[in-house]
Amino acid sequence: MTPRIVVTGLGVVSALGIGVRQFWDAALAGRSGVSKLSAFESMPMEAYRSQVAGQIHGFDVGQYIEGASAERVDRFAQLAMVATREALADSGLQLDHEDPHRTGVIVGAGMGGMLIAEQEYHRVYEQLKPNRVVPNFIPMVTLNSASGALAIMCGAKGPNLTISTACSSSAHAIGLAREAIRTGRADVVIAVGADASIVPLTFGGFCSLRALSTSFNSFPEKASRPFSRTRDGFVMGEGAGTLVLESLAHARKRNAQIYAEVAGYAATSEAHHMVVPRDDGLEIAETMAMALRDARVRPAQVDYINAHATSTPIGDVVEIKAIKHLFKRRATEVAINATKSLLGHTLGAAGALAGIVCALTIDRGLIHPTINYDDPDPECALPGISGQAQERSVEVALLNAFGFGSNNASVVFKRFVP
Amino acid sequence: MSTDTDIPLRIRSALAEFLGRDVASIKPGDALRDDLGLDSLATIELLYRIEDAFDVEIPDTDLPSLVTVADVTTYIQRTAVKGPGSPSGKG
Repeated sequence: MTPRIVVTGLGVVSALGIGVRQFWDAALAGRSGVSKLSAFESMPMEAYRSQVAGQIHGFDVGQYIEGASAERVDRFAQLAMVATREALADSGLQLDHEDPHRTGVIVGAGMGGMLIAEQEYHRVYEQLKPNRVVPNFIPMVTLNSASGALAIMCGAKGPNLTISTACSSSAHAIGLAREAIRTGRADVVIAVGADASIVPLTFGGFCSLRALSTSFNSFPEKASRPFSRTRDGFVMGEGAGTLVLESLAHARKRNAQIYAEVAGYAATSEAHHMVVPRDDGLEIAETMAMALRDARVRPAQVDYINAHATSTPIGDVVEIKAIKHLFKRRATEVAINATKSLLGHTLGAAGALAGIVCALTIDRGLIHPTINYDDPDPECALPGISGQAQERSVEVALLNAFGFGSNNASVVFKRFVP
Repeated sequence: MSTDTDIPLRIRSALAEFLGRDVASIKPGDALRDDLGLDSLATIELLYRIEDAFDVEIPDTDLPSLVTVADVTTYIQRTAVKGPGSPSGKG
């Protein structure tokens, strides 16, 4: 019999707070983690079209993790380490009692070590000192530095993978963590999403792509406004989220708490365009349908959707179109929210943070508000989207995550019923 | 200093280079999307080159008004005040 997979531990590092409790309380209260973009040293900041971001201010990894190991990885990996430390403690797992080869780490990351990348580009091209590149540059810049650092931190010798599909990266990390356990390669897989790339080049790149909000520079907390008529692009964010996944048998053996079951997953490509989704939403609808079939759940059974909803003019409409297409009448009944209204878009971390929200929503029966939903776009508006927190029992939750490169992912979470 | 009469040709030349087509085949009335086949990303790439060439910055809020080649030309004639660059933006 195929093993069932459950979530037994959660960890968050976000612009709304470090720690699941801080994050969740702020999310339910509808607080925004978006603020004025911090100055990039001597960069002329007025040259950036967008001036807002969901940054984690004052983060010092040394406050959370002792020793030099955390100082020697880039910021995205540091965020991942802190989130994972919390998730492991939350799960109650004693990794030194586990078979290390049956414990894996799968990280979703979109950008990699962008802080060290910019620092060292500057050293080579501006200062013309190619002989002074820091020795740790390669281990820090590589996209799998976070999964490597986490394995070392945890002593996890099982599958150690990094998946990079832009903004859907860590939805796939959850899905592939589930598959690694289902196929018998591991008992426990730590699924992580992490990105921290609010640096001059990357931020400028998203500005040039005209993907970011520019109309709310004086009102940062208003800038991320999924489904609102006045949305004008996403807000770049940063963060990390970790979910400890394990087989039900393994969780039961150690009498672990269970937040939810990871019941279904689908991964597709629209094979359409590098940055623009198909405007009929049919591929997104098919992705959601595949994930629900995998979970043996009908659309009418879904209570809650954590939408990808980045606050871009096109993306939000297409996703709602897809939801209406698949869910038919249920689209007017299902609760929907946009975690990015609170955090901005954390890119590779977004799927994991959304997964954490799904697990908490099922566990607590509370749906966090979609903030700035004060002027609904008629093309996006559905009764289940609310600017207020909703109390609602959720048996089935669906997570959507879409990434540049025509990439789509959906993950289905269910309330765990023995 | 570019003159107003240069601008339409320079913009059509920029488009021709971007699309790999003959400049004569690009008409002022051509719509960027429907006639020339530029999707949203390609339009942004083109406008980036034009911003460079004419040393202007086109705010996001002005993009919806730039539907045809002539719209872009008129916009640049109205806003460009600085010196010329090459149509490709490389010079």
